This record gives sequence, structure tokens and C-alpha cells, in this order.
Amino acid sequence: MIVLTTILQILIFPGFLFASFIGLLLAGIDRKVLARMQHRIGPPIIQPMYDFFKLCGKETIVPAAANRHVYMLAPWASLCSLIVMCLFIPVGGLTFFSGNADLIIIIYLLTIPAVCLIIGGSSSGSPYAAVGISREMVTMIAYELPLIIVFLAIARVVGRGELVFSIKTVAEYQIANGALVSHIALIPAAIAFLLIIPAEVGTQPFDTAEAETEICEGPLVEYSGKPLALFKLNSSLKMFIMSALFTTLFIGVVYTGNVIADVVIFVAICCLVTIICMTLVHAVTARLKIEHLFKFYWTVVAGIALVSLILVWAGL
Amino acid sequence: MMYAHFPVIAVMGLFLGAFLVEIFGTKNKYIRNTIVMIFVLLAAVLTFALIKPVMVNGEIITYWMGSWEPVEGWAIGIGYEVDALGLFFGLFCAATFVLSAIYSFRYMDSDDHLGHYYTLFLMLCGGVLGLVFTGDLFNMFIMVEIITFASAALAAFRNYKFGALEAGFKYLVIGSVGSSMILFGVALIYLQTHTLNIAQIGNEMAGNLTPVTILALGLLIMGFSVKAFIFPFHTPVVDSYATAPAPISMMFSGTVNKIGVLGLIRVLYQMFRVMDKEAMQMTLVVIGMATMFIAVTCALAQHRLKRLLAYHSISQVGYVIMAIGLATPLGVTGGLFHAMNHTVFKGLLFLCAGAVFYAAGTTNMDKLGGLSKKMPLTCACFIVGAFAISGIPPFNGFASKWMIYLAAYNKGMETGNFLYIAATIVAVVTSVMTLASFIKVTQTVFFGQLKATNDYIRDVPLSMRIPMWIGSALCIFLGVGYNFVNKTILNPAMNAAFSAERYFDVMMGDPAAASAGTNYTINLSVWNPILWLVLFAIVFAAVAIAIITTKKTVGKVMLSGSDNQDPDGKYAVFFSGERSQYSHVVGSDMFWGFRKNFSKYFDVFHKFHNGNVNDYATYCVVGGIIITIIVFIFVR
Amino acid sequence: MSVLSKIIADSASKSPWIYHINTGSCNGCDIELVAVLTPRYDAERFGFKLTGSPRHADIVVVSGPITTQSEERLKRTLEQVPEPKCVVSLGSCPQSGNVFKGSYSIEGPLEKYVHVDVTVAGCTPKPEAVIEGLYKAAGILKKKREAMKK
Repeated sequence: MIVLTTILQILIFPGFLFASFIGLLLAGIDRKVLARMQHRIGPPIIQPMYDFFKLCGKETIVPAAANRHVYMLAPWASLCSLIVMCLFIPVGGLTFFSGNADLIIIIYLLTIPAVCLIIGGSSSGSPYAAVGISREMVTMIAYELPLIIVFLAIARVVGRGELVFSIKTVAEYQIANGALVSHIALIPAAIAFLLIIPAEVGTQPFDTAEAETEICEGPLVEYSGKPLALFKLNSSLKMFIMSALFTTLFIGVVYTGNVIADVVIFVAICCLVTIICMTLVHAVTARLKIEHLFKFYWTVVAGIALVSLILVWAGL
Repeated sequence: MMYAHFPVIAVMGLFLGAFLVEIFGTKNKYIRNTIVMIFVLLAAVLTFALIKPVMVNGEIITYWMGSWEPVEGWAIGIGYEVDALGLFFGLFCAATFVLSAIYSFRYMDSDDHLGHYYTLFLMLCGGVLGLVFTGDLFNMFIMVEIITFASAALAAFRNYKFGALEAGFKYLVIGSVGSSMILFGVALIYLQTHTLNIAQIGNEMAGNLTPVTILALGLLIMGFSVKAFIFPFHTPVVDSYATAPAPISMMFSGTVNKIGVLGLIRVLYQMFRVMDKEAMQMTLVVIGMATMFIAVTCALAQHRLKRLLAYHSISQVGYVIMAIGLATPLGVTGGLFHAMNHTVFKGLLFLCAGAVFYAAGTTNMDKLGGLSKKMPLTCACFIVGAFAISGIPPFNGFASKWMIYLAAYNKGMETGNFLYIAATIVAVVTSVMTLASFIKVTQTVFFGQLKATNDYIRDVPLSMRIPMWIGSALCIFLGVGYNFVNKTILNPAMNAAFSAERYFDVMMGDPAAASAGTNYTINLSVWNPILWLVLFAIVFAAVAIAIITTKKTVGKVMLSGSDNQDPDGKYAVFFSGERSQYSHVVGSDMFWGFRKNFSKYFDVFHKFHNGNVNDYATYCVVGGIIITIIVFIFVR
Repeated sequence: MSVLSKIIADSASKSPWIYHINTGSCNGCDIELVAVLTPRYDAERFGFKLTGSPRHADIVVVSGPITTQSEERLKRTLEQVPEPKCVVSLGSCPQSGNVFKGSYSIEGPLEKYVHVDVTVAGCTPKPEAVIEGLYKAAGILKKKREAMKK
């Protein structure tokens, strides 16, 4: 029975089907809102779903220079880790796997999709991919520093005993004491986290690794057909997971008593976060160079996060 | 009581084997290999047989050489004492000997004077195992000397290679500086306590440190730091790692620097028992932080595979030192676990590097590329090792690093000291940088276009692959089953580190009346790798379907560097319409976005590692003096 | 299963991604193609998107009279586009050679190398014409997908 529920959770809610649907929907909303901001009509909101299904119907070409197994396995491994992460996030207050997710594990699970993208791109043997993975890796080093500082700041506020990094502890703390974003010392941390989301997902201006106009989408250059569809899906899933993580960590879950209403409110907040930190930023900025990106994250964003950590440590 | 003889037989067997190889094994390959295998396996079997009494039953095994038992409570003979801590190190060291020996048989096939090679190899093994099991400080020093000389000779074994003799010389000089510091420290301690038995020294000096013993403490920390290759004593070993044959590099990273760590634990926790002092903890944490961060940034700048791995070895030992410096049960557990994991994955990575060298004749990353087509299994093993060292779940590096982060942060929460928070941040960032430099290796060595000049490459023979498979399997097993490992061997070892009184009681007094020692337990149920396994099973089923349903149409494409037209444009790599054979990128200078921002920092460390032995010796002495001063001021 | 393949076939015409090859064009048509994606004409409402790699493309837009230098690159890049794909020739140059016809360095027309599905003539074609051509190509994509399934 437990196995059956686990499989259902993995495949349907909050796993594969639910998360993919919401992720693709968020991607569609992102594109639509962006178009409206630029005075365009924009694609239909379900456009990312069209893209996904179209790519599923395309021919899959594996380049002769590629390592076939790694090349085909990379998107699946990425999807797998993203679904595990979905299970760790309390969507609408529903906790799975006893809710004992640990923030450090989340950090490491978050690196897996990026690593899969890097390994997959690397295995394709393309020179553009080589440049792309180098940038992707530097982006990763860049946002990992502020991310860990933000998490440490949160852990200091909510921490109790052994489970300082547990998401469950964060959720319980917010039920008792209100949203963390209202905690004055954590406001810089929230801002830093919002700035990390675009780099983590890879949207403008931090899409240096996948710059389609200069290095032909970097690591994805050789991918076509189903693996490409999976990578696009993964990117949407990441969008959902990052915004959901922000919601969980800083805003918390709104309890209305009705499960469906809870989930809807949760998704609505995710949507708002996506629009604020991705669409707005995307609409008004141009792509950064990689060394500027690195400098930005290690000085500005890490600085903001550090301010928060120091404030928290000073007992504010 | 039968167990009491096991450690000494294991150690003596290895030394006996060294002589037998020199006498009988210089001519015939089969006799030589048989002798080596017999004694190495004997050592491993005897060591593993001790798991039951020591780890499970919680005994401490003692053995007095020549039955020179203590007289009136004073140790006069050489005593062997195997507690859970020593055995823990002994286990993975013995496993490393076996894998390294199996790998050597084929890898060293084309060299001559192999009789001397295996003599030195067995001396090195015997030295390591002797140091792990010994309970006598002077015996420890002797073993350190044996290890140093065997290592220096083995580092320079392929003396026809460029830089090999230089590497051996550097190792010898810096190693001798370390050894003489240890000798000086031992002499001072003997002067003060009139005994050389570690347990008794610990008892004599407990709460009773004089200026002379504090000087000895500084000297011993410095001496064992040189053996553990931590910053700033790491400078000579990079060359040794790079020029030594791959199985010996594996021995260096798996055993030789681990005995430095063991030495530090013995000195700090069991002899001087100063780890409850905050200054000492902070000193070790700072040293660990500096080691891990500086070494990993140096690794990012390397062009040669084995030098890169060497810097990572240093960096990972930084984690261990930091974790031990935390002096909390969780921290020490994490540190010991990371020491073991480092042995496993770094050994695996060195073996893969050796396989690349064996197949391609070079480890220069600018000259390699596309080897995953020719050596797919080596590539797979390397990726497993790379993920493990970068701490990607569910491999073993993740479990231990995670314990270290948690321990460091909890320590910070308890003490309110910001240093431990900084340590957590540095540890996480170092881990990501480790990943970056391994991505660079996989990209430049295993992926990309295969060069036409490398078309002759074939995968390595079976006897070299088996150790790599075992290493990969261990990486996954230790990561998924970390709770099991924690219960069976880590927990006793950690408690042994904290139970110095028990160590003394069993050695000198009546084992039955010995104090029980500490009984900490670490219970980490948050991270559940079984969940991952279920998920991976589902995903792999899906992938199998996906791979079966896709048509296997792979075109033929020319190799990079050849001049012919490519016959099949569709399956060629997209290179803006250019022919794909011109598309090879040498990626050794990847991550310039990172390096550009840190160019000044890199300049400093470029000058720091200037290759001058005099300077390196100066760094050692200066580092040692600083440590001694810190110890003098703060640890009284 | 048939529902899924119907969804896939329907999606084929609703998300056409464009890859643009310039084979020696005077840049006029290229500018007009980019103009199609600007707020004024907004081809993205039909799901059109400019991609960077031929591996991602459904519609290959070729502009320019195909010079000797670009011939080999053009052929290789066209081969690298996965099926189902459409080829659109943009402007008069790939169709006839236009004013460059007869030059020693011109290897056109495009028809010589690949089956052209849609031709948008004009020097340069108006953005409205370009959109119509691309939209027709998207319709052809769906038919090709259905044919491919059989």
C-alpha cells in the first residue's frame, strides 16, 4: 500500500503530472506576461505544452561524436531529481515523505539538474556546448554562495536542535510566528533569493549559459526531439520548484481548511513570484557577460545575503 | 585471545613479504606477484577479521611485543593496541593495498626493476598498517620514517619521466622536515613523561601540560600535518602524486595522508586531550578551511589530470581536518566518514587517471578528448568518482559532506561563533568548485571530439578494470547505506576517539575493569536514499523503453584532425555548417569567467607554488612556528 | 495512444521554431524576418520562435542567393535539421538569384539542393507576406508529421 501511494505520489501528485502541468503553465504565463509588457499579444498560455508535445514528435538525432548512453540518460536523471524535489516541497501544506526534507539536501538536489545539463551537453561533443557548460558551471559557482548564506540565515532564525535545516521546521515556525518575509532581518535574504531564482532557472539576464544568439543554446545545441522536450520540461519544472521553494521558505502556507483551495493559493503565490523575479527582470534587462554575472552574484547578491545573516546573528 | 596476534602478524607479514620479494621475486613475474598478493591479502583478511571483536563487541586488542608487559604500571616494551579508531583506518587502508596491488600487476607490466617496486610497495603497506595499529609513540615515528622513504622512492620510481626525481627529492626533503619535528616532539615527551606508550603518555599528561610538552604538541601537530599534506605543508606532494605510478598515487591519497590524519587524532584527542579547548578547535577549523579552499582553487588552474587530482586530495583532507577540529560527535563522525570516502573515490579517480595514461600515454588534458567512445567503462567509473567527490547525492561524498556541514553549523549555533558559519559556507562553495573542476576533466578528457591521433586507444585490461568497478560499487554502497556504515563501524570509531581513558585502562590496566568510554550515537534519518532507489528504478524502466524505441541510426563522422570530407553531415556535430573535425575544443582553460575575477588571487598562488624546495621548506617551518605559537598562547 | 499522437500532430503546427540561414543575403530579408518578431507584427502569437541551433528547428528559412562559400555549409546545416522539417525560401534571391544571377560565385537556386516547401518572393518581402509564408509552412509541418507517422 505504501509502495502504491509512493508511486502515485511520484507520478501524479505532487510528482510528475501535477508539477509538469503547473511548471508548463508557469512558463506559459511568463511568456504571455512578458509579451503584454512589450505591447505584444503573445503566445497562448498553453504554448509551452504545444512546444513540449511537438518536440516529442520530432526525430531524435544522436550525433556520432556523442556518448550515446550519457547523452540519452542525462535529461532523465535531471527529471528524476526534479520530481524528488517536488516531493520534498509541501505543496499547499500537504507534506510527503514525512516532510523531513533538509535544506542542504535541497541545495544538492538543485545542483543535479544543472549537472545533468552540463554532462549531457558535454557528452554531445559540440564546441558550443563546451563553451555553454563552462558558463553554466561558473553560473552555478556564482549562485551557490549566496544560496547557502540565505539558507544559513533561515536556519538560524528557525533552528532548533538537530533538525536546523528541516523544511518542516521552517513551515512550523511560520505557522506559529507568521511569514518569514515579515521578519525584518530576513528581508535582504528574501531579496537575495529572488535574485538567485533567475540564474538557477536560466532566464534573462542570467541565461549566459544558454545564450541562443551567440552560442546556439550552449549545452542544448545538439539535442533534438524527446531529450530536448525533456530538457524544456525540466526548465519549467525548475521554475515551479524555485518559486515554490521561495513560497515555502519565506511566505509559508496559507491554511484555509480546504485542501484544494490551499493548493490553488499556493500555486497563485508561485505564479506571482515567477512574474516578479523572472518576467519583470527579463522584460527590462539584457544578457550579462559571464564574468559580470559572477561578479554580480559574489558581490551584490552575496553581500545582501550576508547582511541578512549578520543581522540574524546579531539577534535582530 | 587469538585475535591479539592478528595485527602484529598482518604488519610483520607485509615486511616479511618485502624481503621475500627482494630475494625470490626479482626475476620471475609470477613468483613475485604471488608473494605480493599472498601477503597483502593476508594483511587485509586479518584486518577485516578484527571487525567482529573490535567493532561489534567493543573490545580493544592489545599485544606486547616479545611479552614485555608493563612493570609496576610502566610500559617498557612496544605495545600494539587496536581500538575501533585504529581499526577503522586499518580497514580502508588494507582494502586500498589489495586494490592497488591488483591494479599494479598490469599497470606496471612494462617497467623494469619491478622487484624493487614491490619491495617498496610492501614496505609502504607495512609502514601504514604498523602506524595504524601501534600503541607506541616511537614506533609510530619509525613507521612514519618507513612511509616517508618508501613514498619518496616510489614517487621517483619512473625516474625516466620528466620531474620524477625532482618530485622524489622534494618529498624527501619536506618529509624529513616533518619526521624530524616528530622525532624532536617524541624526545621532548619522553623527557617529560619517561614513557613512549601513547596510552600512558595520555594519562600522564592529562590536565598537566608543561611548557615543554606544549612545545612537543606544536612540533607533533606540525609533523603530522606534513604527513597529512595540509596547507601550507602540501606543496611538495603535488609533484609526487603526479609523477608516481597511478596505484602509488592511490596509496598516497588513500593511506599515506590518512595516517597523518590518524596521527593528529591520536595526538590531539588521545595524548594531549586538548580538543576541549576552543582555541585548538578554531585553529584546526581555520587550517581546514584554508586547505580546502586554496587547494580547490589551485586545482581549477591545472592542465594535467593527475596534478588536478592531487590538489583535490589536499582539498578533501581539508574537510577531514575541519570536521575533526569541530570536536563534536557528529563532526568527528563526518570527518572519519569523509576520510574513508576520500580513500574510496580518490583511489577510484587515480585509477581512472592511470587507465587514461595506460591507454593514451599522457594525462595532459590539452592532448586528450573523446575518450568515452574508446573507454566507456573507464568513463563511467570516472563520472561516478567525480560525482562522489563533488558530493552529489546519492553517492558517498554527499553523506559525509552533509554530516560535516550539519556539524559545523550546529557547532556555530551552540557556541555563537561566526567562524563555524563561515566554515560551513566555505565547505559548500568548495564542494561546488570541486564539481566544476571535475566537469572540466570529463569534458576535456572523455567527451568532445576524438582526435585522429588517438584512434588507436583501447580500453584497459580486465585486471585493471576490476579495482575500478569495486571502487565505483563502494562509492554507491557507502552513499546509499550510510546509516548501516554509521552503525557498524563509524560509531565505534568515533566513540573511540573520545574515549582516551578507556584506551589507557585497557592498555595498562585490567581490561575487565576498564571504563566504558563515551557512548554517543548519531542518528540521521532525514536523508533517505531508498526513496531515490525506488525512483531510479522507475526512471530506468522509462529510459530503457525510450532507448529501445529510438532507432539506432548513427552516422560515420571523421575524427578531429583528419583531412577527409565527412561522409555523413546529418550526424556530425553542428558547428555553424563547418566540418565537424575542426570542432575540437581543448577545455583546459575553462571557467575563465571565474578565473578572470580571481586573477590577482591566482597570481599570488602561482608565485606561492614556485617549485623551489628551499621555499617549500621555509613554508613548512613558518607554518610550524605559527602553529607552535598559537598552541603556546592559547592552549595552556 | 491515438489521442496522444493526435495531440502531437496538432502541436506540430502550433509551435513552429525557425532557424535562419543567411547564404550571402544583402541583409534586407534578414531584417524583415526579425521585424516579424517585433511587437508590431508579433509572430510569437502563432508560437513562432527563433532558435539558435538547427537541431531545434522545424522551419528553416533560407535567405540569399547561395554563394560558393556558403553552399557546403548550407547543405550540411540543412541535413542536420530533424524531421519533420519545412524549408522556406525568403526573398527572390534563393528562388532565382535575383540581381546576382549569372555571377561566377552564385550556386543557386535553392531548389537544386533541397525541396522548398514555401517560397516567399519579393525584394524584400513585406513582413505580412513573411508571416503568411511561415504560417503556411506550419500547416505543412502538421501534414508531414502525419505522413511520418504512417
